[in-house]
Amino acid sequence: MAELRAPDDVMRLSRLGSFHQCRLSFMRQLTRRMAAENWQFSRPVFEIDDKGVGHAVYTAKGPEHAYSLVVFAHDLPPEMRSDRVIATAWDSTFTLFDGVPSADDIKRLSKNVPLQEAGRVSEREISVSRANRSVRLWEHFVDALSQGRQPDADKLASVGYLMRTTAVYGSGKLGAADREVIANRPEMQSPFQAEMLSVYLTRWFVRDLVEHMARTRGGDKAVPLDPELALQLGIGNSTGLGMAPYIVNHPVLFNNWVAARENAILRVRNVVTATPEEIAQFHELWERSRLLVSRWHSEHSLQIEKLAQLRQDLEVLESHLADNDLSGEYPWDTLLTWSAGALGEEGQEMLASLVLEPYGDLVDALGSDMSDSNSDAFIIDGAMSIGQLQEQIRTSFGWALDLDWDAHQNCARAWYVSEEKLEPRLGERFEEPIADYEQPLAPARDAAAAFADLSKWDDAAPIADFLMKHPEHRHTIRRAQIAVKAPYGELRSNTISSDVMPIDMLRAKLSFFGAIHFDPRSDRWVRICMYYGAPYPQDLSPANADLWVYPERVS
Amino acid sequence: MSFALNEVEALAKRASRGAGYSWGLAEEAAKATRWLCARHLDGCAALGALLEANLAESLRDHMPVAIGKNWQGATLLCPLSTGATLSDFAVQVVRNSAVLEDVIQPTLILPFVAYAARQTATCLVVTCGGTEATTDGFFLNISKPFPKHAAKLTVRAHGTVSGQPPLASRASPAPEVWATLNRFAHRTYAPATEQSRMLGAGAGLSDND
Repeated sequence: MAELRAPDDVMRLSRLGSFHQCRLSFMRQLTRRMAAENWQFSRPVFEIDDKGVGHAVYTAKGPEHAYSLVVFAHDLPPEMRSDRVIATAWDSTFTLFDGVPSADDIKRLSKNVPLQEAGRVSEREISVSRANRSVRLWEHFVDALSQGRQPDADKLASVGYLMRTTAVYGSGKLGAADREVIANRPEMQSPFQAEMLSVYLTRWFVRDLVEHMARTRGGDKAVPLDPELALQLGIGNSTGLGMAPYIVNHPVLFNNWVAARENAILRVRNVVTATPEEIAQFHELWERSRLLVSRWHSEHSLQIEKLAQLRQDLEVLESHLADNDLSGEYPWDTLLTWSAGALGEEGQEMLASLVLEPYGDLVDALGSDMSDSNSDAFIIDGAMSIGQLQEQIRTSFGWALDLDWDAHQNCARAWYVSEEKLEPRLGERFEEPIADYEQPLAPARDAAAAFADLSKWDDAAPIADFLMKHPEHRHTIRRAQIAVKAPYGELRSNTISSDVMPIDMLRAKLSFFGAIHFDPRSDRWVRICMYYGAPYPQDLSPANADLWVYPERVS
Repeated sequence: MSFALNEVEALAKRASRGAGYSWGLAEEAAKATRWLCARHLDGCAALGALLEANLAESLRDHMPVAIGKNWQGATLLCPLSTGATLSDFAVQVVRNSAVLEDVIQPTLILPFVAYAARQTATCLVVTCGGTEATTDGFFLNISKPFPKHAAKLTVRAHGTVSGQPPLASRASPAPEVWATLNRFAHRTYAPATEQSRMLGAGAGLSDND
């Protein structure tokens, strides 16, 4: 029998930064559910003027609850267009309303949602977000459609979306409903379902808006967007450092995501023989994956290098599959074992996600284990012995205990929050006055410090004794105990080293959303594509609700 | 104004850190404040008043020196560090009871008593200046708000809890209390510098592409 991959292998940032979407991704969980439950979609309001200014409402109705995306469309001067948190105006702003909003609700929201962080929403709202246009592509689309032509498919492919969201706030941010308010609804039980729904409806709005603007400009000459081209439009997202601390700050939650995927991989590794249908489906999606990768572009040197490695991996895998027909015993375990020695991390992780595809029956139920409902994990067990605690630190941070934490390259960076709109940032500890403001985002360094102090105590003494004398280690002791139940909760990489790559932390999280086409803009900023290829809400059905992420070759 | 409890928790953590508590205790403060607000008690006011008392700089003087029947510090006990200790020694507290002397903002002890109750699956009663509060870790029965200072506060295993109103999902702290927490939280924010603005977030300032 195969075994789970060890956290020491999985939780290194280079590997997490090579993760790919899979069956358990939050977008795919959402579209599967909405199709299976036959959700109904409508656009009760679309009041947008000739300048593209106004508001609209898009409603998704499930078995028990309806959710409405309330959109405010703006006319943004180019000099104000920034994806940064410090921006103060956007092309469009959104909130996901719990139910169907009344005129009074919309009036209230119109005074707040366009202000984003400077506004307030209420418990009736679940998320708040905003998006900016991809300027060049937007103008090309409006221009072409207004003159009765379809936009250029290659231009579309080079960007992949007409708008990119620059923040999607949920879970009580800006006054919205806490996660706890909706967490018990079946459709919201998996993580980030509200945010994923908001983005899904945003995509529909963007298509409507670009057609509206083309009609405004071209009148009778204008044509609607070809549905085939519309499918190729995703929603972009531009994500900066704000998301990186998330996977450190939520060790139980992140563990549950990684553990679900690792358990899914294990279940498939333990499949004794694959049926011809399963093998055929794997081959089909393997071909479609290659197409997906061929459409993945980046101008960033780091990702260019990773893509070159991935493309090489695909060649190696192709010739391996030509010689191995997967008809033997434990075909997937054999294949993944081979890949660990033959492919780079990009290729290994893409393959690990891909082998799950024929096994929805084995895998999909794990999706419901991905949220964090263990509030007791926070409580420290004071009776645990110091020896046990040390052992736990050694398990998660054995690699960090002998590191010279005073050496500049090992602690060159510090995570902090700027007073400027509370934007999260990463700075140079020895060059900027930021150390006093450091956030607790270096668990390995802190674990090594606690371990050194623990070593001076009797192994048999309870940790409660130690904490009375060392309250400064409380944060680390709590994390060490959490790791007992959440073995995939701690990164095995140094988050403050001179060569840390925050984009790896961003990709780890975004891959679980189901994002593709990771395109770093720097070491700490990444653009991605969401819902590329997905059916629009009115076309969603069980037949197309799941595998849309893999493009089909256009004949 | 009403705030989401996540907002309460986030601000309480930053404020406690800004007031000088370690991150671990700031996390305790944040969860404790949220726990109280969810049970319709003004956790924000209790935390704001505690932070104003400025105990974090000399925290060791405000922690119990030993765990016996009577828990005493060199001077006024801080409910966060004392509460955390009480939760850490849950088994001993349930077995022996605890008498805390000279505690500021004793309301903030209640969440930690709840943790002790949860860990030991025992109902615990807190008596403080003629007020009694009972918790099984989840529910809280309390006759009237605790005073701002307790000369003596006892925790012992006893009683049962009866049902209570549904948990609150919002908190409405007084504006001046929220402002106090924001003032402390602000100490954790790095002053903006041009270098930080240009490099710290790793992205440019314009996205007209």
